[in-house]
Amino acid sequence: MTESLKLTVDHADGIAVLYTEGYINNEGGEQIARAAYRLIDGDQRTLLLNLQGTKIVNSIGISILIEIIEKMIEIEGRLAFCCLTPTIEKTFHIMGLAQYAGIYPDQETALRELNAGRSA
Amino acid sequence: MSAATAVAEPAAPAWEELARLAGKESGERAYLARLLEHWRRARGAAGAAFYACRDGACRRELVAGALSTPGGPRFPEAVEGEPPEGFAALRLPEGLVLALTDAAGSGGADAHGAAEPLTLLLAAASRCLALERRLKEQHFQVNYRGVELEALYDVGLAVASTLDLDELSEEVLVRAVSLLDARRGALYLREGDEYRLDGTFGGAAVESFPADLPALESCLEGEGVCPVELLPGARHLLLVPIESDRERRGVLVVADKESRHGIGPFDADDRRTLGLFANQAAIAIENARLHRQALEKERLEREMELAAEIQRQILPDELPEVAGWELFGWNRPARQVGGDYYDLVRLGERGRIGFAIGDVTGKGMPAALLVSTLHSSLTLLRDRGELSPELVARLNRHVCESSLANKFITLVVGELDPASGWLTYINAGHNPGFLLRASGGAVERLDSTGLPLGLMAAGAWQVRGVELAAGDLVCLYTDGITECAAPDDEELGEQRLIALLEAHRAAPLSELVAAIDRATLEHAAGLPQGDDQTLVLVRRAAAES
Repeated sequence: MTESLKLTVDHADGIAVLYTEGYINNEGGEQIARAAYRLIDGDQRTLLLNLQGTKIVNSIGISILIEIIEKMIEIEGRLAFCCLTPTIEKTFHIMGLAQYAGIYPDQETALRELNAGRSA
Repeated sequence: MSAATAVAEPAAPAWEELARLAGKESGERAYLARLLEHWRRARGAAGAAFYACRDGACRRELVAGALSTPGGPRFPEAVEGEPPEGFAALRLPEGLVLALTDAAGSGGADAHGAAEPLTLLLAAASRCLALERRLKEQHFQVNYRGVELEALYDVGLAVASTLDLDELSEEVLVRAVSLLDARRGALYLREGDEYRLDGTFGGAAVESFPADLPALESCLEGEGVCPVELLPGARHLLLVPIESDRERRGVLVVADKESRHGIGPFDADDRRTLGLFANQAAIAIENARLHRQALEKERLEREMELAAEIQRQILPDELPEVAGWELFGWNRPARQVGGDYYDLVRLGERGRIGFAIGDVTGKGMPAALLVSTLHSSLTLLRDRGELSPELVARLNRHVCESSLANKFITLVVGELDPASGWLTYINAGHNPGFLLRASGGAVERLDSTGLPLGLMAAGAWQVRGVELAAGDLVCLYTDGITECAAPDDEELGEQRLIALLEAHRAAPLSELVAAIDRATLEHAAGLPQGDDQTLVLVRRAAAES
């Protein structure tokens, strides 16, 4: 099981995609936040977090993800998640993340929906 | 702070903008940011920063204007205690504003009255932000209790849905680490007098530890110091037992509780949560463990059936009939399939009878396969020539190459020339055969003439021979006969076997075997025997009187 977080960033259709692999805890969450804020500073307004490689997230990680969502709302940007395990998806719904960030089953659907939202 | 100059209030569009921001969902920070900017401009400050404060520590949240002035200080990220020098400071409810004064010393927060409208608005906004934060935190905690309940519920569901112990262990461990905000974790399951590592997360853990490890019980009770050496490098451990039917089945360990500021110990609430979780997990783990045991038993039974089938295929279906001679072979496999072997076969054109009896160490499939190897090798080698030390040496090399290091075979292999009555044999570490002469006298022993096969690649074996006269009886057997155990552990022994042979020496061989069979059953008195029982009997027909 991969444990400490590995993060890679790519761009697809003008959207920054952050791929995570491992535990989203305090350390992992901070890593995601740093990358997200760098992208925001670079005028990126749409972010997609692909959590295919993540099986575990704790409350500290969730609170950091909420802060990133709040930041995105503040700058009127959009953040979405895709490829979540059923457990993480259920957790995100209970914790209210799904209220402010889209959750999609796969990256293709997420990119399509985010692009449709941008052009609307 | 003193009120020195009048304050310019924001123009109407600015008020409208503030009103719009205040009405917007999640617009509190943006509202405060605009307000701070109006406040800064009204005072002519080069820059202003808002700090959110809690428990005497303030963290920079917003900056309006410049972050610093040339040659002047820069807004710090955090302020603890008194505000730093070089700034004008304005204390707010659960907040702090620092302002950069210009070179002439004007434009700072302290240059204006605390009661003027913008400052009052800032104070109100600061308080609102703090209350909103607290509300969010409480909302987060309530929601997270929901996540905990869901996790408990899900593990409960797993009782009915998951029987794969590996999958379940990983699920239990990941959820425990996640629920407790732990950095690491490990799951140990009880095996005999120790706990063995079943899964680990976030770092290495010791492979096993004794069930009576000092400090374990007090740690499980939440008292004393926990054995941090279980997870090398960890600083704070929380251990809870996994119990079902009031028996300890395992121990769930999590380590190093995370916060935004690092790691720390777990508290009583954490122990209660993990304890509840472990109770749920215990039922699921026990079910999966029992399922694994049932599968293993089924696999072993299938293997035993297959091994027994192999053994049945190898033992001769029918025995050669030779005028003037009686030949008999008999085998009773033990409950666990063993490695006994016998053969009685006519050797091609030479008119001789080949015989063999052997015992492979071990049980089950490995023993059955080695018996199969022995049988095929012996059959091939016999086709190429008569009994000799070279034949057994080649057989030994083949067994050495085919078997595991701890496997060997004891074997008596021989040939009978029916015409002359001459019986030659090599005894490779097997029990001595018995020769009972029709003419009477002491029982002769066909002792070992070399090492068992498979022990060493090199070895020496001698061929010995005896001439059988009319009525002479040779009995070869495996140790399942002589070591047949009674309930008090007493073995049947060689002497009882010899007595049986002597008592029934003239009876048909089938009756002699039946007598030995009855004697072993009576001796065992219902005690299951762990070893096969095998006999090979050769008797020259008695001279007609």
